[in-house]
Amino acid sequence: MSRHQYSMVLDLNKCLGCQTCTMACKKMWTDGDGMDYMYWNNVETRPGQGYPRKWDEMGGGFDRGQLRPSEIPTKEDYGQTFEYNYEARMYGGAASAQPHQEVRNTPNWDEDVGALMLGENYYFYLPRICNHCTNPACLAACPRSAIYKREEDGIVLIDQERCEGYRHCIQACPYKKIYFNELLGKSQKCIFCYPRLEKGDVNACAKQCPGRIRFVGLLDDPHSTVHKLVKVHKVALGLFPEKGTDPNVFYVPPFNPPRTGNYGKSILEDPRLPLDYLIYLFGEEVVEVIRRLEAELKVAQSGGRSEVLQLLIGRDAGVRYQIAQREDLVQIQPARHA
Amino acid sequence: MRSLLGFAFVIGAAVAAELTVGARSGVTGDLNPAGAVWQAVEASKLALHRTPPQYATEPPSALEIASVEVKVIRGAGKTWVRLAWPDPSAETASLDKPKKMWQSEGLVRQSAATNRFFDGCAVMLPAQPVANDLFPSLQMGDALHPVLIYYYDAARGAEVMEAAGRGTTKRTGRKFPARATWAGGNWTIVLELPEVAAGTPLSVAVWNGGQQDRDGRKYFSVWHRLQ
Repeated sequence: MSRHQYSMVLDLNKCLGCQTCTMACKKMWTDGDGMDYMYWNNVETRPGQGYPRKWDEMGGGFDRGQLRPSEIPTKEDYGQTFEYNYEARMYGGAASAQPHQEVRNTPNWDEDVGALMLGENYYFYLPRICNHCTNPACLAACPRSAIYKREEDGIVLIDQERCEGYRHCIQACPYKKIYFNELLGKSQKCIFCYPRLEKGDVNACAKQCPGRIRFVGLLDDPHSTVHKLVKVHKVALGLFPEKGTDPNVFYVPPFNPPRTGNYGKSILEDPRLPLDYLIYLFGEEVVEVIRRLEAELKVAQSGGRSEVLQLLIGRDAGVRYQIAQREDLVQIQPARHA
Repeated sequence: MRSLLGFAFVIGAAVAAELTVGARSGVTGDLNPAGAVWQAVEASKLALHRTPPQYATEPPSALEIASVEVKVIRGAGKTWVRLAWPDPSAETASLDKPKKMWQSEGLVRQSAATNRFFDGCAVMLPAQPVANDLFPSLQMGDALHPVLIYYYDAARGAEVMEAAGRGTTKRTGRKFPARATWAGGNWTIVLELPEVAAGTPLSVAVWNGGQQDRDGRKYFSVWHRLQ
């Protein structure tokens, strides 16, 4: 286990699905050769097929301590990459701009489709990055020890010199957040913007987020917002906890989506989306988390002060991010919680 | 300390088997697998073994590549090794060379696939002369008995690799001449190696990309002495 652990909390109640984080990451890290189809950060509509397609049904992670590698997603599972006939449209008299090929799948292919519940449509957005797990299945699966977890901050990285592109890591990752660059013959993934963190700046996806949904800091730093949300107030959960990798990206679940005629009623009293679906994503504990969030909301609605809601508003960068200076990483005394 | 070293030496090395690979000496080999010079070279048939599945979710592979035919020519300070084995499908590709790693402008070169693997083969040799008939571990040698691997990949070509134990394989960046043909359900590949002395043990490995073979997931022979 690393001495400290960087963590991110994402408030799904605030995600607009605008993909600004996706583009910030794409321009920052994955616009090189062989990386065309990679989105280290993606935002997918839930319920939905996800990116890569049906990643949540593929497998991976651990089962009673044993690695359960899955199939490797195909390029079509990730979604095609294509160009438009701009030249023909602009100068050749084409009536419209069209893709060069028939498009059958793209990331967030089923955008805003969602599902029906009692005749009403519902959906929400799920932004995803590498979970920088405490027990990374990718690291356990790599026969070359090319994947390592940084001792100082828990960020999981792939040594591009040691990687031979065997892709056991892709098969092992239950979140399918590792990508293969066929031209380089290397596996690549989200690096939690460690070069930015080392300069005191926050991750590009978090910094660009117009909805201010992301919180970044050390999970073991008692002064960090991520620590308060995850460890103290316990209002954020990791995805698919049963996969056994102990993810370090946490989500505040959608707990009170608006609905005509149900003002004041919680999702537990008058479900706007099926609780079963949230339990599927976050485990049984999501029910307790929603109760806590509802209680905090009631406090605020009755004129009280809720620290949880004040934090989740994320008024400014000082509230949302606590980026440690390198010397801090040594000095921070981890908080102790049962 | 002495006994510890002795222990490491014994577990790290395999005792020589009395298996041999014939070689024709005194002529110049031909990189062309169909070259006439190969017709006069005696072929050795090396039995191949399959590495066991690493994970419970990995389907066991049928041993459909039971052996590899090996022909060796030694001469002019070089050694040519010609490998031939049956493989009903050729997993090969011509890959674009990446130029732009980060922050490129304009169109990027695309990855065509994420889940394909390519056919390949390798000849493994001890990196140092063997002594006392003790050969390096078949699992890529060990710290006291490093190995050299002349590796050919049907998409990326030939490259020399070094290893000193399982999981330590390292690309050297050194290329070597090799030429491969696939026809009628058979691969035939000639690798041009530096001079390999008679008596040196060699081992052969074959990867079938069609069943996602890579790294330790492969067919391999035990050590055979080069005659």
